[in-house]
Amino acid sequence: MRSEPIHKISRKGLTVWRLYGVLQTIILLIIAALVCYGTYYFEWPSFIYFIAVVVVILSAILSAYIFPKVRWERWRYEVRESEIEVQHGLFVVKRTLIPMVRVQHVDTTQGPILKKYGLGNISISTAATVHTIPALVMEEADGLRARISELARVAEDDV
Amino acid sequence: MSKEVNRLHPVSAVISSAKALKSMIFPLVVIIITNGFHFSFNFHSDNFWRTAFLFGIWGVGAILALVSGIVKWRTFVYWFEDGELRVKYGLFVKKKRYIPFERIQSLNYNEGIFHRIFGLVKVQVETAGSKDRKPEVELTAIRKAAADAIELEMRRTKNKTNEQMSDEQSQTEEVLAPTIYHMSIRDLLILAITSGGIGVVLSGLAAIISQLSDIIPYEKIFDELADFAKIGVFIVVLTVIFSLIVAWFVSFIITLINYYEYTVRTEDEKLIITKGLLEKKRVTLPLNRIQAIRIVENPLRQLFGFATVVVESAGGNGGEGNDKKIALFPLIKKQDCLGTLEQIFPDVNWRPEFIHSPNRARPFFYRIDFIWLVPIIGACSYYFYPYGLLSLLLIPLSILIGIWQHKTAAYRIDGKQLTMQYRVFSRITFFMEKKRIQSIGTTQTYFQKRKNVMSVKATVMSGMTGMTGNVRNLEQQDAETIVSWYEH
Repeated sequence: MRSEPIHKISRKGLTVWRLYGVLQTIILLIIAALVCYGTYYFEWPSFIYFIAVVVVILSAILSAYIFPKVRWERWRYEVRESEIEVQHGLFVVKRTLIPMVRVQHVDTTQGPILKKYGLGNISISTAATVHTIPALVMEEADGLRARISELARVAEDDV
Repeated sequence: MSKEVNRLHPVSAVISSAKALKSMIFPLVVIIITNGFHFSFNFHSDNFWRTAFLFGIWGVGAILALVSGIVKWRTFVYWFEDGELRVKYGLFVKKKRYIPFERIQSLNYNEGIFHRIFGLVKVQVETAGSKDRKPEVELTAIRKAAADAIELEMRRTKNKTNEQMSDEQSQTEEVLAPTIYHMSIRDLLILAITSGGIGVVLSGLAAIISQLSDIIPYEKIFDELADFAKIGVFIVVLTVIFSLIVAWFVSFIITLINYYEYTVRTEDEKLIITKGLLEKKRVTLPLNRIQAIRIVENPLRQLFGFATVVVESAGGNGGEGNDKKIALFPLIKKQDCLGTLEQIFPDVNWRPEFIHSPNRARPFFYRIDFIWLVPIIGACSYYFYPYGLLSLLLIPLSILIGIWQHKTAAYRIDGKQLTMQYRVFSRITFFMEKKRIQSIGTTQTYFQKRKNVMSVKATVMSGMTGMTGNVRNLEQQDAETIVSWYEH
């Protein structure tokens, strides 16, 4: 068994994901409300009420509570001398290994919600793939970006 | 170094105009269809102004297209200077592009019907940077002699260090470049017969039909179809089969024309592919740009021992439109192909001894299908009651395919080389060099974890997006071996 990568992402990341989940639920709630209104107005079959309510409740439980939790627990990353390893996934655990030699450039991005919490995403691009580590504390993300680009610069390019 | 300025052949004006006009046909069709043929050139008609307006716009566009072709030809010049190919074009905005000859990865020749009448070629110059799916420079039409001059100039610059190489020699060398592969007429026919182009043609047909939906009275047809169905399913089936045969025949002809006289030659670290009956194409592929090689055997071809060899190349679209995957050997006997590949790439082990997926992993190959199978079968059985039950046959079918996929799934590590073998429908054998792999990933579900089974993905660069090889459900130990092999 290979050991898991050591670093977890910030606890604040979990809060942000919960927030995303809540926002998603609110959007669903609005849609559900519209559908319910339509059902009332056009006298569609009444089981639609039931479906709408269940969908909203499920979304609230899953996307605001359970999924962020599992995802946060699962998310690991590690930046070593010659490679980067990330692990993530909800149902399927995905682990990816990216050698430093292959890294072409590193970006950090920050949306409004992430900014409020002082977090940022970091994207590592190779010639063929892009790998994102989400919701890192901004200073950490910047430091990591600097470190990766420094380590990546050492290696010569083959492609 | 010659500094005389070269122009494109006048025919190139015609060709670029024609190309621009061709792209104007579709808008015209749309205009006509969306207006439902309510056109009139009668001044007193209600539709006159609208007709005039729409056709006016289209006409202006068409004239611009024509003019742009002529302008392009008039303004486009190229010349050689300081070991560079220099191009200048543009009417209002002058654009210049200088390409050092050492940077040129490939010169691709393309002879359309127009070109062939006048003995011209279209030359596409590609560098490693031609990433945005376009060649760096495209010379729409020049004389063959002029094309040879470019090649000669390039050769001369590249071989500056060893001056003894005279023009004469390089000329003869090109002629003598050894042929590695030539597709025989028999193979060409088999390729055309088994080509998967049917799907393309069918979707094309579907697109046309949906475009015409305003004109064709579908409801009427459907009513008639209902009667039709009453007469007998037989006739419907017959119609479907007939249209399939037509589609297949069209794709047969297209393949035949495209791959006629398909030849691969090697020339100083480059592969040169020539092909085509009406439109002759010549594609150059530098060996060091090749990222990985896949041998694809679709079930039908596998049955007869045939395979397709696909080359994943970084940059350089090889004139194959948007596709960066170049079929090196579109159709070849599996045994022959291994020998030939050994000749081109002697460092690669082409006959690896595979390590297969463990027996206990077998259920994972078909179990996941049930997620979407069960609802489909349920719905089919419910809504089309008696015949819908036939959908139950999907279960044994998907299990059989799963077993087949399990039998295929395998990998092998030989020194610096990773070979993956897997199947969706076609069997794919993916040969990769360690230094060409961009990233390796593993995936494992909760159920896979319980059985110590893991899937492995490896991505190499191929054009813009990369190509991923994916072997599902290997022994966890094996998957981890691959990852640590990659790590060190």
